Amino acid sequence: MVTRLALKKTIAVVSLVSFSVLWLAAASSAIAASEPGPQEVQAPAIEAWQREFDHVCSKTQDAMGFSEQELAVLIQRCDTLQTKIEKLDETRKKVYAGRLKMCRGLYAYVLESKRNDKK
Amino acid sequence: MNMKRFVILTLILVFCGTSQSQTGTKKKRPLPYEFGRVVLNNYSEKADLPPVVFEHWIHRSKFTCRVCHVDIGFAMKAGQTGIRAVDNERGYYCGACHNGKMMVDEKRVFAACSKRVNYEDQKRCDRCHSFGKKVASDFDFFAFSQPLPKERFGNGIDWEKAEEMGLINPVAFLDGFTAPKRNLAAQKDFDLNPKVEGLPDIIFSHKKHTVWNGCELCHPEIFMGVKKGSSHYTMVDISEGKSCGACHVTVAFPLTDCQRCHSKPVKP
Repeated sequence: MVTRLALKKTIAVVSLVSFSVLWLAAASSAIAASEPGPQEVQAPAIEAWQREFDHVCSKTQDAMGFSEQELAVLIQRCDTLQTKIEKLDETRKKVYAGRLKMCRGLYAYVLESKRNDKK
Repeated sequence: MNMKRFVILTLILVFCGTSQSQTGTKKKRPLPYEFGRVVLNNYSEKADLPPVVFEHWIHRSKFTCRVCHVDIGFAMKAGQTGIRAVDNERGYYCGACHNGKMMVDEKRVFAACSKRVNYEDQKRCDRCHSFGKKVASDFDFFAFSQPLPKERFGNGIDWEKAEEMGLINPVAFLDGFTAPKRNLAAQKDFDLNPKVEGLPDIIFSHKKHTVWNGCELCHPEIFMGVKKGSSHYTMVDISEGKSCGACHVTVAFPLTDCQRCHSKPVKP
């Protein structure tokens, strides 16, 4: 009687374990299928500062059409970016500090030009 | 009397000759394939490599000035960028395109600097670090320039016309570097009055300049004055590389091509 009960218990434990193993295997293969393979590894996400840089400095073509207030806001955003760029590695700092200088310089130039026109 | 005239004339000639020789040496006019050439030696010789020889003509035929001098960040004066091998390896400056992956005209662009260099890589290094060496290039200037419209000076090529005719198509966008931008609204041309009487006015075309350069390449770094007429430009300053001379001494059509700028007919 005792051995029959023990056998039943063992069967139950074994079937529970094997079910768990099978479930885990199926779940992990499903996760693996949804992940990109080595060929489809996505490009690293654009960092927040770079997104901001692109956003601010992609408007240089429109600089002449901005109001003084809009230009002042853009200059302010450039100044905020400057502090973030200074924390980058030497190469990126050199590249983006130079680019930011040009971009900020243009906004400041147009702003000054607009203020001069008013006088 | 004749003898007196002869002596005076001789003295004038001698005086002119000596005064000319004291005012400096005449610069050698670069040959068409040499015009726009830049030699970079910030770090090369320190690393036991010959200086880099950069040919503007081949690069400007593929990309607008803006892509390199704004989006990639090359300075407007030779040597001011201070490009290091590690910058190129990280995919910046020359490495933005010279990464061994980018395709231009169905050709793979060779990679710039790399950390490990073996004997076979030597040829690749030589393609840029070529000062004082005879290195075969993939591009032959004469074959390249042969079908293009001609100009008298500089590279001997009318680049503007070449683009108009569709013979070259400089790209204005580089993935990962150029932020998408709207096309710039065309600005009106304006004329500038030269100081010398009788010299035709300069017609400055904003449109021609912004197509390749955008705004921030020139303002405020090169042209600081915000009010038209507030800045005065002299030919001496320009020939020293200031204002228009930032490009029109080194890469764009040179100052010897007077009527390309002084193009407005003189008022009768």
